[in-house]
Amino acid sequence: MSVRTLFSRQQDGLRNRLGDISEASLAFWLLLPATLLLGLIVVYPVAKVIHDSLYSISLFSESGPVFIGLANYADALRDPDVWRAVRFTLALCIVTVPGALLVGLVLALLADRQWKWRWPVRLALLLPWALPLAFSGMIFAWFFNTEYGVVNDLLRRAGFAPISFLLIPQWGFLAICIATIWKTSSFVALILLAGLQTIPRSLYEAAELEGASRWQIFHHVTLPLLVPALMVALIFRTISALQSFDIPYAMTQGGPARYTETLSILINTTAIEYMDVGYGSALAVLLFVLSMAVSSIYLRKLYKGTL
Amino acid sequence: MLKLPLRWIAAAVLLINGFFPALWILLTSFKSDIELAQTPITWLPQNPGLSNYIHAFSDQPLLLFLGNSFAVALLSTLLTLFAATGAAYALTRLHLRHRGLILTLLVAVAMFPPATLLVPLFEIMRGLGLINTYGALILPYAVQSLPVCTLVLASFFQQVPKDIENAAMLDGCTRLQALYRIVLPLSAPGVFTASILAFVNSWDEFLLALTLNAAPGSRTLPVGIMLYQGEFTFPWPVISAALVVAIVPLAILIIVFQERVISGLTTGGIKG
Repeated sequence: MSVRTLFSRQQDGLRNRLGDISEASLAFWLLLPATLLLGLIVVYPVAKVIHDSLYSISLFSESGPVFIGLANYADALRDPDVWRAVRFTLALCIVTVPGALLVGLVLALLADRQWKWRWPVRLALLLPWALPLAFSGMIFAWFFNTEYGVVNDLLRRAGFAPISFLLIPQWGFLAICIATIWKTSSFVALILLAGLQTIPRSLYEAAELEGASRWQIFHHVTLPLLVPALMVALIFRTISALQSFDIPYAMTQGGPARYTETLSILINTTAIEYMDVGYGSALAVLLFVLSMAVSSIYLRKLYKGTL
Repeated sequence: MLKLPLRWIAAAVLLINGFFPALWILLTSFKSDIELAQTPITWLPQNPGLSNYIHAFSDQPLLLFLGNSFAVALLSTLLTLFAATGAAYALTRLHLRHRGLILTLLVAVAMFPPATLLVPLFEIMRGLGLINTYGALILPYAVQSLPVCTLVLASFFQQVPKDIENAAMLDGCTRLQALYRIVLPLSAPGVFTASILAFVNSWDEFLLALTLNAAPGSRTLPVGIMLYQGEFTFPWPVISAALVVAIVPLAILIIVFQERVISGLTTGGIKG
């Protein structure tokens, strides 16, 4: 993977410790656009959100920002809405991350054959990947529609009563999980498929000659060689699951009774709709800490070159 | 003997999983309101018609949303390419002190939850007078695509032989000219791949678009179509038609460039 080779070139710079000035200034100018963009869109906003989280700022109140220290955080820890959103977000991670990895693995294994027509198979993995999350949410909301949804049509045909999926909390959770797993498993499958295709066929042939069964080959040859790709997929899926917004928003808008509200939806509601900027910022910092905890695992491995 | 059925099952699972949702929307888009309100529901449209498409374009300015999405995606792709080209060249060809650190920071950006930046971005964009303009989206989208584009470009730049570049510089090119006249053209597939990934990222984004750019005139497709829903009514046939219109350009893009997209996803290995 290119990331790894890039990191491994770190020693390269030693050769030119003194560095010639023209090269240093060229590097400065070449990195400037990226640096400016990151400064404006990431670094400054992060500093601002941390700063704001220590203040009471409401756009509805007449008075200006008032410094209140960690009071927003203390409030957040006591706020049942926050705990419900955290629980729901974590539940979504616990179900959809392994779900997407498993479905993605199955799809990748099914796709990893010598197909006569490769493009329909590829497109079948690429289309869900490219489809906007918001559209996937809308399409699945339609699937799970109580009266006219295709899921309830199938249930009726099988002799069951239709279910108001998006109006009952537990069913809403299930529907959101299914939509999320469908949407995200194709990306996992694409990453794993690329991993599968780097495994030399000769390894399989050797294992077959030794008399290994299909399951043994999968368990002792395929799976160990897929571990790095699975790790990448696992970390990226976990981080984006923590940030879930589009699919739950499109399917239930956080309802019924805010039961399916994720942390991202709660931040949006608090800070943008209720304009409670200070409190919303504190919630944003909490989400930030949560996802950075996960990504630091990945970044550390990347930096040490063990991935 | 056993191989053929298994093959067919594999093909069926892959195709149904990949295409059924899009196909279902396509079928829905040809059904009339009356047909849609029937239970049990029909699977195939009984009197396929185009009235939903006419409504999709006349009830809401769908064409405008399409144009907005296209403009935002294109401009943010250009901006991200410009920034990523410089960064990728500096990271692969120049002697940087903190290459590892810069790369780590760059990858960290890719993992940033957009929801956490919602409030400050709103204030920055209001300060710059960019709220409800393309600019409010172009800047953050360019940043979101920056890491993956930089990694893809860097992996292609690495493969350009240094000798070619050195020869160009002996012939009187400056380093910058060597980048734009030699390295960049030789990395054309990488530029292409990076562009497609950036374009799709922008085309798909919803949260920032909803917050920073929700005015009817400048809405992008995901926001525009989401807001087709009335207060209590869900005009599903019309929404389906609008979705089909929004998905078609994307589908054409990935059908034409599948090889590039897949290679980009695996070299960049970043965003899901």
